[in-house]
Amino acid sequence: MSDFYFSNIVLIQSTFTVLLLALSIQIQFRMGVFSFAGAAFYGMGSYGTAIFVLHYGFDAISATAAIVAICAVTGYLLSLILQRLTGLYLAMATVAFVMIVTVVAHNGGELTGGSVGLFGVLTTPEISVPHLAVVCAVVVAAMIFSERGSMGRRIEAVREDPELASAMGINVARYRRMSFVISGVLGALGGALNILMMTAIAPENIGFPLIVLALTIIIVGGSRSWLGVLIGALIFTWLPVMLEQVGTYQSIVYGIIVAIAAIFMPGGITGVVTDLYRRRAARRDSAALEDEAEAERRADAADDEAAAELGAELAGTGAHSAPTGESR
Amino acid sequence: MSRVDRKVRRRLLGAASAFGVLFAAACSSGGNSTVADGDLPAEIKVVSVTDQTGTTAYVGNSQLRGIELAIQEINDQEYLGDSKIVLQKRDSASDTQTAVSQATEALTDKSVSALLGPVLSAHAVAIAPLVERAGLPTIFTQSGSEGVVIGDYTYRATAPMETYFVKALERLQQQGVETVSVLYNAGNVTLAGLGEKTIPEGQDKYGYRILSSTSVQATTQDFGTTATKIAGENPDAVIVLLVGAGNSTAMSQLRQAGYTGPVVGNPAAGAGNLAPAGAAGAGMYWATDFSFHQKDETSQQFVEAYRAKYNGENPLNYAAEGYDATWMLAHAAKNSGGASRDDLQRGLEQVVAEGFDGALGPVRFEGNDMRVDGVLVEWNGTEEVLLDGQESTE
Amino acid sequence: MSQLVIDALVLGSIYLLFCLGMSISWGTIDILNFAHGGIFMFSAFVASQIVSNVGLGLVTVCLISVVVGAALSAAIDVFAFQPILRRAKNQRTAELQILIGGIGIGTIPVAIVQFRTLSEPFGFLGSSYETSVYTLGGLRLTSTGLIVLGCALILTLAISFWLKNTSHGLALRAIGVDSETAELMGVKRRQLSLLTMAVSGGLAGLAGALLTYNLGAITAESGETLLIKAFAIIILGGVGSTGGAALGAMVLAFSEVLVLRYTGGGWVDAVGFGLILVVLLLRPQGIFGRKEVRRV
Repeated sequence: MSDFYFSNIVLIQSTFTVLLLALSIQIQFRMGVFSFAGAAFYGMGSYGTAIFVLHYGFDAISATAAIVAICAVTGYLLSLILQRLTGLYLAMATVAFVMIVTVVAHNGGELTGGSVGLFGVLTTPEISVPHLAVVCAVVVAAMIFSERGSMGRRIEAVREDPELASAMGINVARYRRMSFVISGVLGALGGALNILMMTAIAPENIGFPLIVLALTIIIVGGSRSWLGVLIGALIFTWLPVMLEQVGTYQSIVYGIIVAIAAIFMPGGITGVVTDLYRRRAARRDSAALEDEAEAERRADAADDEAAAELGAELAGTGAHSAPTGESR
Repeated sequence: MSRVDRKVRRRLLGAASAFGVLFAAACSSGGNSTVADGDLPAEIKVVSVTDQTGTTAYVGNSQLRGIELAIQEINDQEYLGDSKIVLQKRDSASDTQTAVSQATEALTDKSVSALLGPVLSAHAVAIAPLVERAGLPTIFTQSGSEGVVIGDYTYRATAPMETYFVKALERLQQQGVETVSVLYNAGNVTLAGLGEKTIPEGQDKYGYRILSSTSVQATTQDFGTTATKIAGENPDAVIVLLVGAGNSTAMSQLRQAGYTGPVVGNPAAGAGNLAPAGAAGAGMYWATDFSFHQKDETSQQFVEAYRAKYNGENPLNYAAEGYDATWMLAHAAKNSGGASRDDLQRGLEQVVAEGFDGALGPVRFEGNDMRVDGVLVEWNGTEEVLLDGQESTE
Repeated sequence: MSQLVIDALVLGSIYLLFCLGMSISWGTIDILNFAHGGIFMFSAFVASQIVSNVGLGLVTVCLISVVVGAALSAAIDVFAFQPILRRAKNQRTAELQILIGGIGIGTIPVAIVQFRTLSEPFGFLGSSYETSVYTLGGLRLTSTGLIVLGCALILTLAISFWLKNTSHGLALRAIGVDSETAELMGVKRRQLSLLTMAVSGGLAGLAGALLTYNLGAITAESGETLLIKAFAIIILGGVGSTGGAALGAMVLAFSEVLVLRYTGGGWVDAVGFGLILVVLLLRPQGIFGRKEVRRV
């Protein structure tokens, strides 16, 4: 078991960091903000941490804290700049933002390492899987909190019907701005932890491929809940390994799987499973209802019989009062 | 969230954890035995991590052919007595994280003696610190950037391009070239290094002056604007450092723009990448670390063996590099008499100190980094030929 | 300097040819087709495979590419986009799923061609068409460049006319504004949708063939880099406007050519992204786009 752990440690680490990336985008979707800025923050997180460690001698904790703070502020500024955009236009603007981060990474000269990127990012304290797990557990706990109770309902209101939410006194604009800040924090965190584990980052590791990865995770896993994102992250981190057996056709198979998921599973895996449960519950409910109706009918029939017998007795004794109590 | 949703969540979480445990249990490798020092086991396990699919597939596949040919020869000749080299091939599919993960699997597997590393610099710089720390001897090919050969356990079986590119600059000097225009891909670290350092620094030494230097991105496909500019400058020679299809497009557009003079390229113009340009591609020449025409005896032996195994096909330089990298491992095992990781590392120290004659010709090392003479080849419109007027290497 | 203008015009025409298909499907039936790049490249690939065995002329090669592109695009519509639209709960999830479905499907032709070519470039070597160069007063234009210019001009005008003046075009625009009402008025959405996707795919195929002729060779990844530029162009010109796409393509091409000429080549891509941001911030509907009511 521990052989498996060390042998596949890169994939285990990657599952956690990709989870953070996908959550950073999903949290905005859940608030109805169609933004991919999380991918940009992930890239900034990786590069920022690398720059702080390599060029300024920061240690792991302070480098991470610094870049998370920077991305939180950037998120806030971005939310102000983009506040008038919604829907597909907002999405396009955030995609452009992601791409600009990539171009800066390519052209940053000595600072960003150009097209090779930055490598040799080794520092103390050494971050490993237990640290990742704790961080992700905290984040997931926050996600769970945001999905339940009144917070969950408020977020749903902001997404489904912003006008109604406004009328109920929820400051929709503030939720939107907060979503960018949270996205900044989560994305930067994922990126920072990623480079502390991988020790190297290059422009091709950030940018558009991250957007595609996050989207496929959210769509296939299920966009409503953190659990869907976790399932998606597990699948898409480990699927390539399993597909390696397929050999040269692996990328074709990958594309087919994504396409099928998008076409046939609109709610993602959590959606499919929820539907199955609902249908089973509905069948049980309707079966129960039928039994009840059947019992009622039998009870009614028994009542009628009893009434008839009583009536016959009374008729036999000559009493004139009707057993049903109706008097005309 | 309804009761149904919450029930679904719990069940899914349970299923996921159960699946995880089962998967882990199924996949755990059952106690691999470490190779003891001084021991040549019946099977020497070597892992190769390279791109068999993806954008650099033709490089990785060529490298693998060289590696497999070498292993076949080593085993058939019984070069290591009763010990055979066994190769485990992993496909990194041009993805850095996959490459790193596969390298990690190799180094945690105690029965693996050596790693034949990836071809992309981006993969190599991420893997180098890991194999160095774990003490797994790794021989990279291509991977020309800094941060690859970083310690006692990392080696590179490809001479960095700037070490033999100077042959082309020498040729320019021989031809009396005085003015030069440059077009290069800044997205490729090796070509960017040539364009930004080697060529400008060579101006005094080789007697040419740079009229203009244009850098493009890796994604640029159209060079019409630059072709116009260069043709207008009318230089004595043009240096074009691009990858893949860019080479044929640039040649076509240069000729269309009216430039008819000589063009210096780089090995990425090989492997038939100039064919789509037709006649316009003729006249581009470049310095490479290997050409199947080169006259060294060991090179020609390699070419013949390659043709015999692969249906008359001619080897690319990537195949020669993979071949020599594998033979380095075999020499190392023979030198030290053992196939443990430390044995191989000691044996490799000896190999790099002495050098050897391989598919790439006479091979020397600077530290753990390979050096070769290199050779000039030219594309004549239909095929690659040795450039005339070169001194033949003894 | 005027040579720069010609180079930019040809570059812009290539962008425009690639964009037209996307602009049509996005502007009328609201399908943002991420598989467009894959279709573009795959059609050219099929043509190149045929041409390597049979020496065909320019027109035939383009025709093959157009047919392959149209067929592929129609198939994707029938097997992927229509089912998604049927099952989707609302417009927003439908858009998202079409986006992802397009991405997923788009990787399939790229993977197939990567596998077949080992990512080496392919072209139309066997074709009997030879490009010739025309010079007039120091200005240079290749025959291929001329054909590209001509096709872009003719097709833009034709499509613009079709959308504005024919009943089909009117029906398409009606779907774009309000598909439910349009269907109530008798517009057969599914058939028109199929027709639009087929035309869009055919245009992608034509662009693929012409670009391959112009560059000499392309690779499996060539379509992907053009996709993002297509977004920039359509956003700049305005979704749903053919004239806007033409203007956007020229603006992008000229900006890129100028940036390349006077600064380092590394910032050329940034031009497209920067344009997207600037336009979205200042005038989200683009230059000629209609003011959307529904864009939430």
